[in-house]
Amino acid sequence: MEEQRYVVFLFPSVSYALKAEKILKAAGIAHKLIPVPRHISSDCGVCLRATEDKQQDLERELQGKVAWDKIVSL
Amino acid sequence: MPVIVDARGLACPEPVIMAKNAIEKNEEITVLVDNEMAVENIRRLAVKMACGFSVTEKEGEVRHITLVRTGAPGQTPVDSEAIAAEMSCAVASGKETGPLVVILSDNHMGRGDDVLGDILIRSFVHTLLQLKPRPDKVICYNSGVKLAAKGSAVLDDLQQLAKDGVDILVCGTCVNYFELGDQVAAGHISNMYDIAETMAGAGRLLRP
Repeated sequence: MEEQRYVVFLFPSVSYALKAEKILKAAGIAHKLIPVPRHISSDCGVCLRATEDKQQDLERELQGKVAWDKIVSL
Repeated sequence: MPVIVDARGLACPEPVIMAKNAIEKNEEITVLVDNEMAVENIRRLAVKMACGFSVTEKEGEVRHITLVRTGAPGQTPVDSEAIAAEMSCAVASGKETGPLVVILSDNHMGRGDDVLGDILIRSFVHTLLQLKPRPDKVICYNSGVKLAAKGSAVLDDLQQLAKDGVDILVCGTCVNYFELGDQVAAGHISNMYDIAETMAGAGRLLRP
């Protein structure tokens, strides 16, 4: 079985992450709020994880609405 | 050929004492152990006695540890009893002291702000997947049962835990109270007898 590949979106603060989550929920895009993986440093302790193939959907949906710091592949 | 010290099946502090006695008389020894605690204790012994330490082989649970003396013999006399007292025999891996039980008594983590509490509990449950040692049991009661119901943001995490062998008890009274009867999708419905017994028999209770 091929292992599922993920990306995480890092945000400047918890409220950004929450706002992004609301937008994605409304748009019906699968994602998961998780603690920021230990090896990635971020002031905000949570991030949004999505499967790699959903990355562009997330970017498109959040563009202009919520700023993110960076996207990291897991 | 280095001297072989077979410490398989022996409980702490036996393996580390045997290793100490052997390395005092030999330049190089190989110790066979079958638990992680013995490995850690011997690693610390090596530091104390100025020995080279390496795990050279692994077959199943059994590890072959090679100790090579680098300091002069008798340079650092170490007392057996002191070693035994110092080594972490008491800090057993959960199993020996009773199961590690996680209590989810609320669908939030902490008091003060429910929006934040919601984020925190989601992070917490997700983190349980990577926690070492892995919890043996999870008990959901009061609004904690909502975490195991359809639509919960941590349902997939709880399902994965269950798949990994973690026993998840979901309070039946609470499920009934919240009218979630057909919604519980992780773990199994339990009752207060099992819940109270599980808590009473726990080695450690973890309550976020």
